[in-house]
Amino acid sequence: MIARAAMQTEIVPPTVDGADVEIKLDARRVNFFYGDFQALHDASLAVQARKITALIGPSGCGKTTFLRIFNRMHDLTPGTRATGEVLLDGHNVLSPDTDVINLRRQVGMLFQRANPFPKSIYDNVAYGPHILGWSKPQIDEIVEESLKDTGLWDEVKDRLRRSALNLSGGQQQRLCLARALAVKPEVILMDEPASALDPIATLRIEELMQELKKRYTIVIVTHNMQQSARVSDFTAFMLMNERRAGEVIEFGPTDDIFNRPKDSRTEDYITGRFG
Amino acid sequence: MATTRTLFDQELAELKSGVVRMGSMVEQAIAESMRALVDRNNVLAKEVIARDQEVNELHRQLRERAFMIMATQQPVARDLRLIVSFQHMVLELERMGDHAVGIARAALRLNDLPQLKPYIDLPKMAEITESQVHEILGAVIEADQDRARAIAERDDEVDALYHKIWDELVGFMVQDPANVQRAAILLFLAKDLERIADRVTNIAEDVVFLHTGRIVELS
Repeated sequence: MIARAAMQTEIVPPTVDGADVEIKLDARRVNFFYGDFQALHDASLAVQARKITALIGPSGCGKTTFLRIFNRMHDLTPGTRATGEVLLDGHNVLSPDTDVINLRRQVGMLFQRANPFPKSIYDNVAYGPHILGWSKPQIDEIVEESLKDTGLWDEVKDRLRRSALNLSGGQQQRLCLARALAVKPEVILMDEPASALDPIATLRIEELMQELKKRYTIVIVTHNMQQSARVSDFTAFMLMNERRAGEVIEFGPTDDIFNRPKDSRTEDYITGRFG
Repeated sequence: MATTRTLFDQELAELKSGVVRMGSMVEQAIAESMRALVDRNNVLAKEVIARDQEVNELHRQLRERAFMIMATQQPVARDLRLIVSFQHMVLELERMGDHAVGIARAALRLNDLPQLKPYIDLPKMAEITESQVHEILGAVIEADQDRARAIAERDDEVDALYHKIWDELVGFMVQDPANVQRAAILLFLAKDLERIADRVTNIAEDVVFLHTGRIVELS
């Protein structure tokens, strides 16, 4: 854990009454390329620990690309390249010496569509701990704890050996979250986690996020601006520049972004004046 | 980039136009209630009282409309501020209409009695408040926060006149108990004018909020 002064990046990280804040993830002037095409330009973002930071912006503005850099998911796409720094507790995750497997344990991810393994509910959650070589009693304990943390335990405790694919969409998404929590991450990245869910399941996820942020740092990409306004503490608005590379236009407390945005482009976007 | 909320923009424009229309009705009611007093015109006073129903009805319609826009359009930022401000403005205007009715009722009672004194400061006070109401509607139309702040500053002039009138009328009461009834009615009337000016200040605060997103106290 590193506590540092607020002024760290070009986009000024939000502060609370000028006090030092704990920055968990600090992206500094990140540029990202798909081959010759630049998808991100000098994107900076200081993510506070145990807060929810939302990335919003129109389609193609690079918010998912930015999110995926935080745990090096882009490594899985050939021909991509990231420059700049993404400091996780002070260590640059983009440096070649980063243990990517460990990084993805520390920085878990929840995707747009629930993607449970075609295995039992228990095995889905136990998968990570099993790979990490934890003992059976430890795994039993962590499975129960993770399912409780995601509010699933009471719903599935009597059918842990049944296929995860029989769960509802909302339950599957919470199972995937439990799977991510089981390996004790510090940061959870969420890429439109509720976009495929009905309103009730969506609210369930949002309530869960409020509980989880007491222990985890959360970064969420969402197209749903009302969701961003409801759940996040901080919001970053991204937009494509004239060369179609995504940039962070404005970053601040969600209250300010949705009530008193400083940049007219932010205001135009959140009020739906362009699209 | 293309504008994507044409219908929403149209709804906001209609709401704004309704607020201004309501403001004009109230402005007229205040002016006519004072004229009913000065000219001792009971017919005009009764007209002001009767027409308050139209103001109340427009108030109801505008509140419903604002509520509907909020429910269906999920406004944020300046749009949300606009609707919230309009909702508050129409509430203030409705109350101003009630004050105009108060003045008209006072005029009806006073017009049947011998005039206590020549009306000098009351029309002065009314002139300032009427001008404030007119000006604040202009500031709403133009969304001009500097103008709104300047209008709010004139509240001090109204307060000074109110205190002067108060002292004078209390003097009349002390002088002769036969003056008490008329002086008391005039005091209530002066209070109505003073409250109208206060409500103008509240609307000025809404105009500033509309611009800055900050809730300010201008009084």
